[in-house]
Amino acid sequence: MTIGSPDALPAAGAAADDVCDPRFLDPAIDRTSIAPDEPVAREDLASWYRAMRLARTFEDKLAALYRQGRIVGAVYLGTGQEAIATGVVSLLRRDDYFSTVARGLSGWFLRGVEPRDVMGRWFGKDIPPSHGRDLGLFLADLPGYGIAPYHNGSMASWIPSGAGFALAFKYRKQPRVYAALTGDGATSPGDFYEGLNFAAIHKLPLVVIVENNCYGYSTPTSLQMPVKNVADRAPAFNIPGTIGFGNDIFEVRRLVSAAIDRARRGEGPSLVEFKTFRRRGHGEHDDMGYVPRELRDFWERRDPIRLLREYLLGGAGWTAGEVAAIDAECAAHIDRAVEEAAALPDPKPESVEWRLFAE
Amino acid sequence: MVITYLEAISQALRDEMRRDGDVLLLGEDIAAFGGAFKITRGFLEEFGAGRVIDTPISESGFVGAACAAAIEGLRPVVEFQFADFIACAFDQIVNYAAKACYRWGTPVPVVFRGPSGGGFRGGPFHSQNPEAWFTHVPGLKVVQPSTPYDAKGLLKAAIRDNNPVIYFEHKHLYRRIREDVPDDDFIVPLGVADVKRPGRDLTIVTYGAMVHESLAAAERLSKEGAECEVIDLRTLVPLDKESFLSSVRRTSRAMVVYEAHLTGGFGAEVAAIIAQEAFDALDAPVTRVASLDVPVPFAPALEDAVLPNADKIYRAAVDVLEY
Repeated sequence: MTIGSPDALPAAGAAADDVCDPRFLDPAIDRTSIAPDEPVAREDLASWYRAMRLARTFEDKLAALYRQGRIVGAVYLGTGQEAIATGVVSLLRRDDYFSTVARGLSGWFLRGVEPRDVMGRWFGKDIPPSHGRDLGLFLADLPGYGIAPYHNGSMASWIPSGAGFALAFKYRKQPRVYAALTGDGATSPGDFYEGLNFAAIHKLPLVVIVENNCYGYSTPTSLQMPVKNVADRAPAFNIPGTIGFGNDIFEVRRLVSAAIDRARRGEGPSLVEFKTFRRRGHGEHDDMGYVPRELRDFWERRDPIRLLREYLLGGAGWTAGEVAAIDAECAAHIDRAVEEAAALPDPKPESVEWRLFAE
Repeated sequence: MVITYLEAISQALRDEMRRDGDVLLLGEDIAAFGGAFKITRGFLEEFGAGRVIDTPISESGFVGAACAAAIEGLRPVVEFQFADFIACAFDQIVNYAAKACYRWGTPVPVVFRGPSGGGFRGGPFHSQNPEAWFTHVPGLKVVQPSTPYDAKGLLKAAIRDNNPVIYFEHKHLYRRIREDVPDDDFIVPLGVADVKRPGRDLTIVTYGAMVHESLAAAERLSKEGAECEVIDLRTLVPLDKESFLSSVRRTSRAMVVYEAHLTGGFGAEVAAIIAQEAFDALDAPVTRVASLDVPVPFAPALEDAVLPNADKIYRAAVDVLEY
């Protein structure tokens, strides 16, 4: 495959077998500065920026702890994708559900999850609701945060379960929605089709958000799918498929908001694809040597936190000190989280058979 | 009232749906058609399309959906058209349903009904007994009724249980086995075996369709002076170990009879438990009678060669008794 430079990209809608590498953005949605369509309240901007910054700071710290050998198990980071989960969760009501892996950490934090409790799981500590049974990568806490439990690492397997939660909402005539955040790789397994098919037939309130970050582990999307966009698959379900720039939190909110409204109106599921980039390896064990330098550079300029920060300091009129205050608060928060998490108790070996079955 | 095994399953479903508005059914062709075996005939008319849901042919999809609906508090009962097709939903069952409570503390009150077993010329994909695929996975309960009474009581207990329960109903029993079953509400608790025939000379541990073949063999042996105790496990998980261990301690001889393939079948686990926990009581090796380790073939002469039956059980029992 030819890796074209971004300057050489053809116009949107050009022939499919042109030199355009889908890992670079289509010029139709590409941008290096962002702004909302309409004014956004200052406290909203602050909470979104804070969630994204908190996630980035957490991940930087997590990577360091991993290299120091202080973390149990493998580490998977969502660096560069923070705008998507933040934008999605910012639109949910308290009784809506969503699911992500830890690449959507910013969404967990925006929802109110304490960084200490996430860090504690990476340390293998005894904290509810998992009590040391599951990796830091996964979080499920329905009563606490509306974060739904899911399966193994296959991110396709929670499309059927998303349909099932949505089925329960509809069964009980509740105006709730389920947002399933998943990845480009998850659109290959059958579960993706089976779940969306079922949801579309029954017009269930499911919103599937695909973070297309260019790679499934090391395999580029060109070897995962014969279509240029994941959203191109939407017509198979007779549902809307939309494509946006996932590093622009305002765009994320605009597209997902429409999908959530549709779901809440009882009109069924939507497929929303966001182009983004996984700025680190699949896991921290992965040096991502398979990613061309120019692709990394392209996306570094479009880092979601950088874009939001530049908007805050530009169009939103914040001072450097105001942004720096949030950065400093996040840094202190994460330092404290690590300290507190390390001090949490380990699960007791005699608890190992507890709760295999519900009462 | 005297009803068939099939009618007992149908009654249990109808009773539970009338009793609890959170019980709903998902499966292929279960609504207007009433299911491939007519278990849910008339259900669409009584309960409506919202509670009797015809699914697309996509087991993984509707099983995943059912698990999530269960986590949200509904009590879905999923019908696999044939237990063989449960393979298509394996991941959702073993990685989602089975582990959710252990991982996150979320109960998953879902029932998977699998019409299983051979003996009616269904061939390799409509005759299997896949219980051992699931007894190996912590977090799943596995039920295998042999009589109309047990079929009704165990299904009601399964629906009321807060855990994923796989309920294997043997197709060959559907219309062949009938008995008087109370109309009123009763359950057969999960994890309690049943002595289907008392005896002092040999313990036969079995479940599902093989209960009837074992009883036929025991009847023949009785005429020859040997009294077999036939223990129907009824549920494999949780397992009522004491039922057969205490029996073996009295009879000193044990056989395990199951219709699934011999190697790695659940009966192997039962045999191992007996060998380990009742070794001192044994006067003969624990013997298994099960299907040959080949796919269940179609042609009658071949299928009969593969499946265990009363005659094969009888001959194995004679060997154990004469050991």
